[in-house]
Amino acid sequence: MSLLKPFSKLPELNTANILLVENEEQFQQILAETIVLLKKNVNVNVRLARSLPLPIENEKFRPRIDLVVFIINLTSELSYQSAEVSLKFLDPDYFLGKVCFLVTNARNASVPPERLISVRKLVASLHCPLLFAEDQMTDGVNTAAHRLLAILKVTSGHVPMATGLYLSSLTRCTVPSDIDQQNFD
Amino acid sequence: MDRLEDLASSLETLAFHGFQTPTVGNGEKESPAIEILRIKEQMSNQCFEMTVKLQSGESKRSCSASDAEKDLPDYVNTLEEAKITHFNKTLALHRMQVWHVISEKLKQRDPEAEAMRKLTNHSLDLCLKIKTLQQESFELQDQITALQKQRLDLKRLTHEKMKEMEELKTKGEHPVAEEYRNVLQKAQSYLEKYQKMVAIEQNVLRGIIIASKVNWREDPKLREIAMTLEDITISDD
Repeated sequence: MSLLKPFSKLPELNTANILLVENEEQFQQILAETIVLLKKNVNVNVRLARSLPLPIENEKFRPRIDLVVFIINLTSELSYQSAEVSLKFLDPDYFLGKVCFLVTNARNASVPPERLISVRKLVASLHCPLLFAEDQMTDGVNTAAHRLLAILKVTSGHVPMATGLYLSSLTRCTVPSDIDQQNFD
Repeated sequence: MDRLEDLASSLETLAFHGFQTPTVGNGEKESPAIEILRIKEQMSNQCFEMTVKLQSGESKRSCSASDAEKDLPDYVNTLEEAKITHFNKTLALHRMQVWHVISEKLKQRDPEAEAMRKLTNHSLDLCLKIKTLQQESFELQDQITALQKQRLDLKRLTHEKMKEMEELKTKGEHPVAEEYRNVLQKAQSYLEKYQKMVAIEQNVLRGIIIASKVNWREDPKLREIAMTLEDITISDD
């Protein structure tokens, strides 16, 4: 099984690697460009993928991945399902703070509310943080890029006295007990 | 030589900061010393993560997910408590450091130290004043509460007295009126009895005069008596 393992490779100096996994490839391209253009002191490499498992040919050249971001578009059921399937190919050690979920189009009226609830339940069961992003406007993309960069800095060790596990225990998604009775009228 | 001096001064500033990198804004140019320190911190952070992973791998016990879920809140609580104590201790440490610096400064003879001394003396005076004023306000407060207690007592007493007065008013007619009525009834019964007796005696007298066939019109005394007899009627049958 080609699991993606966090600690199987040595880290590089002053670099951080982030992997964006999205079934449709629209948002990850824009997000990747924005992240690279942000001002920072760290070299950030952004890798893109449609789903896990990653192709074995690149296994040797691939550096250590510090943060895996699953981008789920709420308007398509396929996006959610492919993210669910990809989760199986991730080593459990990643879920201790090195995985983050990013949801787009949550404000869209055509989205059935059950999908968001099921996404929240999935993320809460994995104890990971859940971010919401606006992908249509540049401001939204910028905000999402900033937030991801902040989390990336923590998980790659560039923030002293903080690790990914520490941060995720503070920011992890929780599901309120009355979530099944929520309606947003 | 200049370069060495620069390096020495930058290392000195770093030592003051406790060998933690000062947070530089993103994208700004860093001096190499700070950059080296930052990379060193990154490496130590990553090594820490890896040692944590190794340690967690050593003590593996097989348990179900529900057991783990049950234990999780306890561990989270201990973590939170550790974080809080650490934060409090850091705060206390900073306080001590600041106090130390201030006391050191006060002992010197700078114009700044003079200003600080004046400030501390002024604040001491103000604190004394505050203390005396607080004492006075406490005493006044005590007096106020004593007066309020007295007023409350008086109110209660007046209330009771008013109640008593009202009770007496409603009941006070009664016992006197009762006796009066009793006496009146008694007197009336006596009166009736004597009236009956008088009527009976007068009837008897009338009968005697008529039966004796005396001409009472000629004798003035008899005439008087007979006249008065006619007026009197029996009051009740």
